[in-house]
Amino acid sequence: MKVLSSPVGRSAIAAAAFFVVLVVGALAYTSTGGSARDLLVQELLVNLVIVLGLQVFIGTTGILSFGHLAFAQIAAYGAALVAIPAASKATSLPDLPLGLGDVELGPFGATLVGIAVALLCGAFVGVAVARAGGLAATMITLAVLFVVDQAVKNWTELTRGAGGLSGVPRMTTDTWLWVTALGALLVANLFAETRLGRFAAATRDDEIAAPAIGIDHFWPRWAAWIVSIALVGAAGALRVQLVGSTNPEQYTLDIGVLLLAMLVIGGMRTVTGAFVGTLVITVGNEIFRQLGDDHGIVRLPELFLGAVLLAVMLIRPGGLLGDTDVRAWLSRLSRRRIPAAAASERAGDDGATPPRAPGDLAATGISVRFGGFRALEDAAVRVRPGEIVGLIGPNGAGKTTMFNVVTGIVPEQAGEVTLGEHDLTDDPPHRIARAGLARTFQNLRLFPTLPVRENVALAALSARRYRPQAPAVDVDVLLESSGLTGVAERPAATLDYGNQRRLELARAAALAPAYLLLDEPTSGMSDQESRAMVDHVRATARLVGAGVLVIDHDLAFITRICDHVVVLAEGRVLAEGTPAEVRADPAVAEAYLGRRESRAFLQSDRPL
Amino acid sequence: MTTFIQSVVDGLGRGSTYALLALGISLIFGVMHLVNFAYAELITVGAYLAYYLSTEGLGWWVIAPAIVVAAVVASVGTELVAFRWVRNASPFTLLLTSFALERLSHALWAILVSPNKRSFAGPSWAFNTVEVGGIRFEVMDLVTIGVTAVVLTLTAFVFRRTLFGISVRAASEDFDAARLMGVRANRVIVRAFAYAGLLAGVAAVLILMRSPSAEPTLGADWLIKAVVAAVIGGLGSFTGAVVGGLTLGLAEVMLRGYLPEGVWERMTDAVVFVLIALLFIVRPQGLFTVRTAERV
Repeated sequence: MKVLSSPVGRSAIAAAAFFVVLVVGALAYTSTGGSARDLLVQELLVNLVIVLGLQVFIGTTGILSFGHLAFAQIAAYGAALVAIPAASKATSLPDLPLGLGDVELGPFGATLVGIAVALLCGAFVGVAVARAGGLAATMITLAVLFVVDQAVKNWTELTRGAGGLSGVPRMTTDTWLWVTALGALLVANLFAETRLGRFAAATRDDEIAAPAIGIDHFWPRWAAWIVSIALVGAAGALRVQLVGSTNPEQYTLDIGVLLLAMLVIGGMRTVTGAFVGTLVITVGNEIFRQLGDDHGIVRLPELFLGAVLLAVMLIRPGGLLGDTDVRAWLSRLSRRRIPAAAASERAGDDGATPPRAPGDLAATGISVRFGGFRALEDAAVRVRPGEIVGLIGPNGAGKTTMFNVVTGIVPEQAGEVTLGEHDLTDDPPHRIARAGLARTFQNLRLFPTLPVRENVALAALSARRYRPQAPAVDVDVLLESSGLTGVAERPAATLDYGNQRRLELARAAALAPAYLLLDEPTSGMSDQESRAMVDHVRATARLVGAGVLVIDHDLAFITRICDHVVVLAEGRVLAEGTPAEVRADPAVAEAYLGRRESRAFLQSDRPL
Repeated sequence: MTTFIQSVVDGLGRGSTYALLALGISLIFGVMHLVNFAYAELITVGAYLAYYLSTEGLGWWVIAPAIVVAAVVASVGTELVAFRWVRNASPFTLLLTSFALERLSHALWAILVSPNKRSFAGPSWAFNTVEVGGIRFEVMDLVTIGVTAVVLTLTAFVFRRTLFGISVRAASEDFDAARLMGVRANRVIVRAFAYAGLLAGVAAVLILMRSPSAEPTLGADWLIKAVVAAVIGGLGSFTGAVVGGLTLGLAEVMLRGYLPEGVWERMTDAVVFVLIALLFIVRPQGLFTVRTAERV
């Protein structure tokens, strides 16, 4: 069981399991037929390595790429150009630039050169893709596919154009391909366990929540891109040496869509899904090709592909297997061994951390305009270490905008945000989170496909990495105190509303922040639940030693929990003070209730 | 100067077709966040219909409106059969659904008709030239630009003044809010698909008059250009789609004319795509920013 608790061990076991399936399947299949069957196995392995490459980038980051095949092509041509014997290059490619005509490398060297060239080109493109994200990134990859296609077709001195290169010395056995397939299975499984791999999955699940726990979009995406290009490049460089030739027809958008279909049909978010999808589509494609040949129907495989893809998208858009994954299952298996009592015991020993913020959290003179609308006008709010401050006001008063300004999501036109001596005014969201501000969102922003535990663990991981001065937060203790231990392995999206709220709070707390910013933690809760939330928020803040700035419409909740209350109305600070002072303020009552109602209210003893 | 003006007209001719298609893609993206990769298959539908009608001996006065009607029907068909059922899925799922339809379309035409190109007769006047102020223009270029101008003006009117247009714009900005204001989701989406079909139909007529032939993968090249044009402009932005389309058309023609001979000239398309990639690096949201209603 010790093997299972290490990421390398888990990944190795998962990779080995897939590999055994492949070997047994291939042996059973080829033992009964001729050399044509060997070719199909070869094709399957090449596809598998490419699809695993796609999984590492597309699956973990959620950014669709059409450009990966271009890098397989670059690697293939790179490997071919250094592998073709000099004598044959002298006649077939007389005008080779860069002195390539005299280079002659063995299969190993040629493969490495191919991968290296792909990585070199890919590193630059990766910067653009990782920075852009979303649809723009997809368009960049599409552009790359066409640029490389055009270059290969027209830079004839190097590529011989549409005819392609031939005469590449052929590998006599598939050994290297098998080794590469095993390596790719291991790399893809392992990447999902690495810090950057896990962070990449967080950016995929919620682009705004990830920076809110200190994750920068760029590096996880770029790392995923580089690893995936290396895998895809290896497949390209090997294929050209197995087949002996290459041409632009092997790397068109159509082929790209075929490979993409393999990725999504099984379930793109997991290696298991990519593996199963590759098997299903490669085998199905072959069956329908033969059927088509037998009955004289062209393009039958294409019909099969379109129909399967359409059916899966309509019926199971997450793929046939969804998020079922061998490695994730192994990981759960290893955790089940930890006695359940451990966490609660650990929670028992005091738990409280003294407030250790580097100073006050202060937003001063904040002004924000959306077009002609003044969301905030010279507004200010201050929280002292360990203090709980409420931010209240009628709808549209600018409360959430204030949060968004403080956490760097909305730019302010004037004012500044400081944490102790540290000026956060112009920092991007992930830096603000790393400085020690963690927030929740009005509309809940969890990482929906990730397990509850992983939602919290990601923030703890980010804290360990980017907030070394902060106290270590025990994920299990947080889950236990939030009442989430029982559902820790379920995807966050499957929780009920109250649990989702508590999970979001636990995730923010796991960052061990100096201040927690909570946007309507009791929204949608019953009176009873909201009363329980008072203690829960207090306990959680005390556990990590954080001060709290909280927005809520439930004024009973605010009165119970807050040391100090700031009232916003129409973008300005209307009043502030203790809950009792604020309640007695005629201006506040009027803003909430209107002039006539407010007079009666002030004479009564009703809570606001 | 003469060649310059000729290239501009040539570029606008190309660009107008891109603009029509980009507008259709942008329109559908606006109402349901779908980048419709099956969109240019509407051109293929029109092409096979034109081929059939042409072999029956019918003239372009019948063929042209028939193509437009077929494109509208097919466009609404894709909504009813496929897109309606994944409406609330992620943009990724929507995109792949459209890819599946594109694949099916390619395969079905190849199986039902033939994988090979089928040519038919275009209108006899398509390649005539006229001389205006000492400069020769192809009639087809002028017709393309003229028809596009009319259609775009009509579209501008529809989206500014009609209830349908205003509901589409409202839905593009914030679908949920639009529904609360009484915009019916099904109706507005079906009509958006119908209008997008109309735009593709007009584009198909212009494309087929110039090169009257049908083959299964006819739509593929147009699709990429149209998507790129729509994204350059900023998906969901109607002005953006038109500007994106015209820019792309002009850039292609101009680069072809002015790049040095040799490798560079052969790589015009590559250069265009490098420029596009650079644009997305500088402005990931496209030229025209579209306000989105995502709240934090």
